[in-house]
Amino acid sequence: MTRTAIDLTGVACPMNWVRTKLALERLAPGDELAVRLDPGEPIESVPRSARDDGHAVAVEGHVVTIIKR
Amino acid sequence: MTLSESELERYSRQLVLPEWSGEAQERLKSATAIVVGAGALGSPAATYLAAAGVGHLGIVDEDAVELSNLHRQPLHFTPDVGRQKAENAALKLGVLNPEVQVDPYPVRIAEQNAPAIVMGADVVVDCSDSFATRYVVNDACCAQRVPLVEAGVLGFDGLVLSIQPGESACYRCAFPAEPPAGSVPSCREAGVMGATAGIVGSIQALEAIKLITGVGEPLVDRILQLDARGMEQTIVSTSRREGCPACGRLTAAPQSA
Repeated sequence: MTRTAIDLTGVACPMNWVRTKLALERLAPGDELAVRLDPGEPIESVPRSARDDGHAVAVEGHVVTIIKR
Repeated sequence: MTLSESELERYSRQLVLPEWSGEAQERLKSATAIVVGAGALGSPAATYLAAAGVGHLGIVDEDAVELSNLHRQPLHFTPDVGRQKAENAALKLGVLNPEVQVDPYPVRIAEQNAPAIVMGADVVVDCSDSFATRYVVNDACCAQRVPLVEAGVLGFDGLVLSIQPGESACYRCAFPAEPPAGSVPSCREAGVMGATAGIVGSIQALEAIKLITGVGEPLVDRILQLDARGMEQTIVSTSRREGCPACGRLTAAPQSA
């Protein structure tokens, strides 16, 4: 199990989800990805997209932690 | 094969799709698609394949653009009348998406050159306008096990069939014999509603993308029939025909794709 962090502040929707999704593709199931996002639409939207794709998601402040399914 | 920053942005609205992935996008990028015909079906089919990021496109057409083509062939514009369709299509597609390589083949596809044209392709999209050409393309694709998307359009009617040679019905399995001359009006006699060809050619592009990437379920062993008058779509089952001269000798799945 690995833990990776990416900073996507300044990256608008939906490119932030594109980058999150591609980062997740490179991980193995169970790996953790921490994504720092801008407040507002990004921090609301990216966790929702990740949940919709079946990943486990936790949000703390402006960082969403995604455990790859 | 990795995607550049500009490719990520260009393809972002398909990369976000739950059905889609970076891997699917990379498969498209490394794929070769041959589009036979740069006319009514070929215009939308090639446009969407280039736009979606199919890395290598071959456009086969020997004809020149005519004024009477323009109502249904939106790759060709009024100032293009007289130009080679394959060359003009390659030029337009290259402007649409410089990330993809488009090669024009300004030739008529026939029995002799078809094997060389389809060789090595990941998919062939048959946008030709004659039964004879469809059989030629089908036979060449079957012989080399190249996946194929067949289609036809006339008036407000269209049909589409995707083919995995050796695994699903080929065009000859579904339509064993060419209709007798005169029983089906030619395109020129019957006319084509341009937007009907737009729908059918777009479906062909989508089928080719599905065949390349494995995303979704292509129309294999299923013929989609469209009657655009009432916008009715019917799916008719078909299956491999024993002793089919094109694909009868092929055995299913000799190797993984």
